[in-house]
Amino acid sequence: MSLPPPSAGRELANPPSDGISNLRFSNTSDHLLVSSWDKRVRLYDVSTNSLKGEFLHGGAVLDCCFHDDSSGFSVGSDNKVRRIVFNVGKEDVLGMHEKPVRCVEYSYAAGQVITGSWDRTIKCWDPRGASGPERTHVGTYLQPERVYSLSLVGNRLVVATAGRHVNIYDLRNMSQPEQRRESSLKYQTFCYALSSVEGRVAMEFFDLSEAAQAKKYAFKCHRKSEAGRDIVYPVNAIAFHPIYGTFATGGCDGFVNIWDGNNKKRLYQYSKYPSSIAALSFSRDGQLLAVASSYTFEEGEKSHEPEAIFVRNVNEIEVKPKPKAYPNPAA
Amino acid sequence: MAKDPILQVETTCGSLLYELQIIWDEVGETETDRDKMLLELERECLEVYRRKVDQANRCRAQLRQAIADAEAELASICSAMGERPVHIRQSDQSVGSLKLELGKILPELEEMQKRKIERRNQFLLVLEEVENITNDIKGQGEHVLSKPPIDETDLSMRKLEELNCHLQALQKEKSDRVETIRKHLCTLYSHCSVLGMDFNEVVSQVNPTLTDPEGPRSLSDHTIDNLDAAVQKLREVKIQRMQKLQDLATTMLELWNLMDTPIEEQQEYQHITCNIAASEHEITQANSLSEDFIKYVEAEVVRLGEVKASKMKELVVKKRSELEEICRKTHMLPVSDSAMDQTIVAIESGIVDATLVLEHLEQHISKVKEEALSRKEILEKVEKWLSACDEESWLEEYNRDDNRYNAGRGAHLTLKRAEKARNLVNKLPVMVEALASKTIVWEREKGIEFLYDGIRLLSMLEEYNLLRQEREEEHRRQRDHKKLQGQLIAEQEALYGSKPSPSKPLGGKKAPRMSTGGTATNRRLSLGAGMHQTPKPNKKSDQRQVQVDGALSTGRRGLDVAGLPSRKQSMNPCEQLQSPLVRKPFSPISTTVVASKANIATPQQLVPNSKSNAVNEISSFATPVKNNNIIKNLEEEKMMMMMQTPKNVAAMIPIPSTPATISVPMQTAPTPLNNNNNARFLPEKAEVIEYSFEERRLAFMLQSESPIHV
Repeated sequence: MSLPPPSAGRELANPPSDGISNLRFSNTSDHLLVSSWDKRVRLYDVSTNSLKGEFLHGGAVLDCCFHDDSSGFSVGSDNKVRRIVFNVGKEDVLGMHEKPVRCVEYSYAAGQVITGSWDRTIKCWDPRGASGPERTHVGTYLQPERVYSLSLVGNRLVVATAGRHVNIYDLRNMSQPEQRRESSLKYQTFCYALSSVEGRVAMEFFDLSEAAQAKKYAFKCHRKSEAGRDIVYPVNAIAFHPIYGTFATGGCDGFVNIWDGNNKKRLYQYSKYPSSIAALSFSRDGQLLAVASSYTFEEGEKSHEPEAIFVRNVNEIEVKPKPKAYPNPAA
Repeated sequence: MAKDPILQVETTCGSLLYELQIIWDEVGETETDRDKMLLELERECLEVYRRKVDQANRCRAQLRQAIADAEAELASICSAMGERPVHIRQSDQSVGSLKLELGKILPELEEMQKRKIERRNQFLLVLEEVENITNDIKGQGEHVLSKPPIDETDLSMRKLEELNCHLQALQKEKSDRVETIRKHLCTLYSHCSVLGMDFNEVVSQVNPTLTDPEGPRSLSDHTIDNLDAAVQKLREVKIQRMQKLQDLATTMLELWNLMDTPIEEQQEYQHITCNIAASEHEITQANSLSEDFIKYVEAEVVRLGEVKASKMKELVVKKRSELEEICRKTHMLPVSDSAMDQTIVAIESGIVDATLVLEHLEQHISKVKEEALSRKEILEKVEKWLSACDEESWLEEYNRDDNRYNAGRGAHLTLKRAEKARNLVNKLPVMVEALASKTIVWEREKGIEFLYDGIRLLSMLEEYNLLRQEREEEHRRQRDHKKLQGQLIAEQEALYGSKPSPSKPLGGKKAPRMSTGGTATNRRLSLGAGMHQTPKPNKKSDQRQVQVDGALSTGRRGLDVAGLPSRKQSMNPCEQLQSPLVRKPFSPISTTVVASKANIATPQQLVPNSKSNAVNEISSFATPVKNNNIIKNLEEEKMMMMMQTPKNVAAMIPIPSTPATISVPMQTAPTPLNNNNNARFLPEKAEVIEYSFEERRLAFMLQSESPIHV
């Protein structure tokens, strides 16, 4: 930590061999869980830069998350929801969707696993149940379109689907969405900051009061002005800083930007990465930022830079909101 | 009776002794006998005891031995398997009886033995595999292998892993070898297919196992070396053949070039000649270097050679005409026809090798070309001089016309021409002098006479000078005569007081039309000529002038005949007669050149136009014009139609000159259109059906994987 950080950060050894679909820091340690298109989930120990474990699945792994420090969940194109136990190398199938499963989240509040799939449903699972779908399955909730992204805050679940639908649920009452919205962004939405392929990020607020809703806004980012035309890059990843509430966005332009959502300001831009930013994750203390630099197929099959995971040290100055001249009313 | 057997035995012993004493009492045995008997009994009993104790002792020893053995075996197995023994006997802490101990240790031993056997089998498996692969690699695959020796003292996991590593290394080597062989075979196959050889045969020569697609292949160093050698050999053969083929192709190209073989005929062999500069690895087409194929090409080359021999005569004639052409252009005397006929006859009869003649001709042509180059400067001057002479004669004529100042149509042009001509005539003596000195220098340099169409130029110049002097004399005489007449008239005037017009009687019967009309025709004709190629519109048009418009030359020639009869005499009459004939081969050449240009520009308009031909026939010009008119493009045609309307001879003349100039805009016209089409820019639009990148990626992944699954 005393060493000056290199411009891109430390590159992890043994990176995935095909596109990285997601990466997440553990809530309790500096372990990093990475899912990728090469059908594998990998567990890295960032502090020692070592590969701790590897799981081979039946299809491309589209998302993964931690359960606790010894186990996690993974979903992928083989329609299955898996629980994987790292130290034993054991995996069991919690259940299945009818189509590839795009995203998975674990709610510590509800003790449930929530998965979103292209079969237009989200499903909740209880991982403590004995293996077998009839024991673990808690509920299935239809969605208007294919689920592209899930996000959890406390008991709130935000589901973003194709067709710009955004549904907000309360985990304690999943029978119907608490709010239904249409994404304020034109194209595919991912995460509650919403990001999209159109190079724009929207800030929205759960609070339905007019005052709160009036504050919502969207801003353009990850664009390049060239010869009078804007080149728009998809925004693939958003990660909130666990302490300051600022957030990082990563786009297909290979840049990672840090934003202060409250003050609507960009705090920092890291130097360009070799490839698109596929996923971002802050470590539990916000001191580390894992950056997956991996081609995200935005231009179809083509030759591209090899997949790489960089872990960089985050300076406080890069992520701490700059105080405004006048006090900002709490959002 | 449920008593201790020993007690029973004791009772039995006591009762037996009691019975014995009763018997003894009855018998009346003596005390000593009795004691003796009892002692004996005692002794025998003791003996029996001792035996039993010994036996028991032996048994115990055996048990101990068995335990020790079992323990030893156990220890050895454990050490062999590299494991800590499960059973460690605490010697100080007795477990119990020996039998218990043995009973405890035996199942352990059995277990260990079982495990040892299992391990041993594992070893065997690995060793066998190692042996197999080693044999494969060493190339003794057919040998029945003896059981591989196992080191019984070391059956540890470590050793097994070592062996496994070794096995993996061997397996890797094996797969490497398989890959090497596969690569070699691939190369070999491509070589064979290119060379038209039987792949299986070649391979079976290297090693018969390689031809079997299913069975095991020999992987030995020897096989690989042999294979490598075979590949090298075939490659050498390939290079050799390729060079041979390329030589043949070169020859073929030369022959084609020499004989102007039509493209259609060349097309058939295009695939050979296109490889003329190819390197070894670029030739991959099957059978493209097979023996049959080379033979086939050879046959074609031989055939071409034969054709060449028969065409030699034609070639000689062609070269000949080329030579004559150059000669004519540079006004040198060509070799006579009879000499040429002789050579042709000689070729036909086989006395002279045509190639030699050709070579000779080539040399001659190059020599003539060289000479032509040196003559060029003087020739240009001669040309200038001759045209000046033309003008001079015209001026003479014009001067004689007393009505020349009458203003008629086009008179101003005639006046202008006369003015120019006068200037030119003034320069003539200087010109002649310069030309003469140049010629003298040239002749001195070369050591030969400068001949112009067979006549020495210097003598021509001399002749001209004489002529001029004569003419000047004449002029002077005329002037004197005029003066005399003037005096006479003056005298008569003085005498009779009348004044007749001086010009009338002297003007002769020259038609006033003649000069103006003549010039008018001239002008028109020269207009036409000007559009062709001549920089000087009034260039003298005798037989030297190579012109397309025969009408013009004939018309002009008529004038020349009248204008300068003395010049005519200096010309070779025979040449003049010949000239249209000689010219003929030249004009087609030039027309073909024009035609090919036209073809390039507008290939779709190759078809000769019947209308234009008809017009040609109406105009009934000399042959060259017709030739030029055969190929026309659309623009020309249009022009023709426009020009047709006046039905004027003069209007016809510009036609041959048009193609080059007019086809250019024709060609450029479509290009911007094309450009517009190509440049149409379609901005990238977002797709109607929305799919995320991941969905597309998965679709692509499944698509690319599916052939593997199926």
